[in-house]
Amino acid sequence: MNQETTYFFLFITLLASNFCLAQELYSTSSAQVEFFSEAPIENIKADSNKGISVLNLDTGEIAFQVKINTFQFEKALMQEHFNENYMESEKFPKASFKGKITNLDIQQNTTQDVLIKGDLRMHGISRSVEIPAKLQLRDETLILESTFNVACEDYEIKIPKLLWKNIAEIIQVDLTANYKKY
Amino acid sequence: MNKILIFSIFLISTLTSAQDVDSLMNALENDARPDLVIATFKSPKLVLLQTNETVKKNDLAFWVGHRFGDIGGEFGGSHTLFGLDVATDLYLGFDYGITDELTIGVGRSKADETYNFLAKYKLLQQLEEGMPVSVTLFGQSSWITREEFQNNEFPNQTDRISHFAQIIIARKFSSSFSFMLNPSFLARSQVSDPNDKEGLFALGMGGRLKLTKRFSLIADYTWVNGLGRPSDLDTKYYNPLGIGIEIETGGHVFSLNFQNAPFITENNFIPNTQKSWEDGGVRFGFAISRNFYVGKKRTINTN
Repeated sequence: MNQETTYFFLFITLLASNFCLAQELYSTSSAQVEFFSEAPIENIKADSNKGISVLNLDTGEIAFQVKINTFQFEKALMQEHFNENYMESEKFPKASFKGKITNLDIQQNTTQDVLIKGDLRMHGISRSVEIPAKLQLRDETLILESTFNVACEDYEIKIPKLLWKNIAEIIQVDLTANYKKY
Repeated sequence: MNKILIFSIFLISTLTSAQDVDSLMNALENDARPDLVIATFKSPKLVLLQTNETVKKNDLAFWVGHRFGDIGGEFGGSHTLFGLDVATDLYLGFDYGITDELTIGVGRSKADETYNFLAKYKLLQQLEEGMPVSVTLFGQSSWITREEFQNNEFPNQTDRISHFAQIIIARKFSSSFSFMLNPSFLARSQVSDPNDKEGLFALGMGGRLKLTKRFSLIADYTWVNGLGRPSDLDTKYYNPLGIGIEIETGGHVFSLNFQNAPFITENNFIPNTQKSWEDGGVRFGFAISRNFYVGKKRTINTN
């Protein structure tokens, strides 16, 4: 094998590996997760923009993760109680999701309604869930938006009886992620 | 030679393209900065001493502290219902969080009709990786306003004032155990014993053992006698030791304590504790704090 053939192989191999990589994986480390609790005495809202996620557009695989202590509340003491008393973030530092988009068929510049099936894990408990989402591809950016409900009881997040008027049992979660091609 | 080259390039390229959802997630996760360690203690106060915690931004904390009389000994027993008839000190105060790091406060103590002005600043905060401790600075000035017990007890108005400074070094070892060391200095203008020193060094130490999410055992000890203070004083002084339980419910923190110190503020209990755990001088006490959020709602970025 002469020198030129070697370089040719080298070039093709690198091109191929780059190509494989580039076409499928999308990632973000600034996904926004917001949740909302509506109860008779007070409405509580918190958000984090430090969600990390990877989406494989070829296979539909998706992984999502947010650290519990990155959620910002209106009241700092509430934030401390959220971490210390409810989510126990030192024991269970993150909420994560791993699953697959079931009906993926995305075209440039269109919005597709998709259904994501997978396991949602938080507070040490894992549950199978189905989450509806909207997916949109704009050039190199992939936008995912989703709203779903989480029942505190499903994840053994205990609300004292005294505080049921302050904290809702079903929490609404809003998710927005702007993925870039990896 | 060339074959080896080509083989290694193939190998490298396969490795790179093996980059999948999981490995990319791990890479993203490792990029995150280390987190602050929060809630080393539940409350800015332990039993007797201050902790490294401050009042949160725009929170107003209302404090009530109470110390009853001696449980046993000459002044206790059934005649005073084990000290419950007596109040050696009662403290009412407000602390306000200007920022999450800076707290200012005023309070009034029944003992010597004392007014207190305090400031507390969170200088350093423990990180999950890197910084091993949190450091908070605490300063407090006390102004005694009672009438003189004898003539010329306080020749000048400034003799009624004392200043206290403390560095609080705290570490949360685990979610259930936290410990702190509080080197301190108290500057008094007037001492009752001519042999006593006006400036006193003290070393406080305290810990918390969290038993459940809302229930903890707390204790603190202040070493002042035997730390450069003259030992040939007319009055016998003891080092303050307090042990208690702490209960947190939403915006309230309750602590129920036993201690030999009859007084609540550092400027008073550090130099003036004449009661001992051994001769019935221990007393029951409690502290209640209630947090009120007085600021505007923080704006949260929502698109």
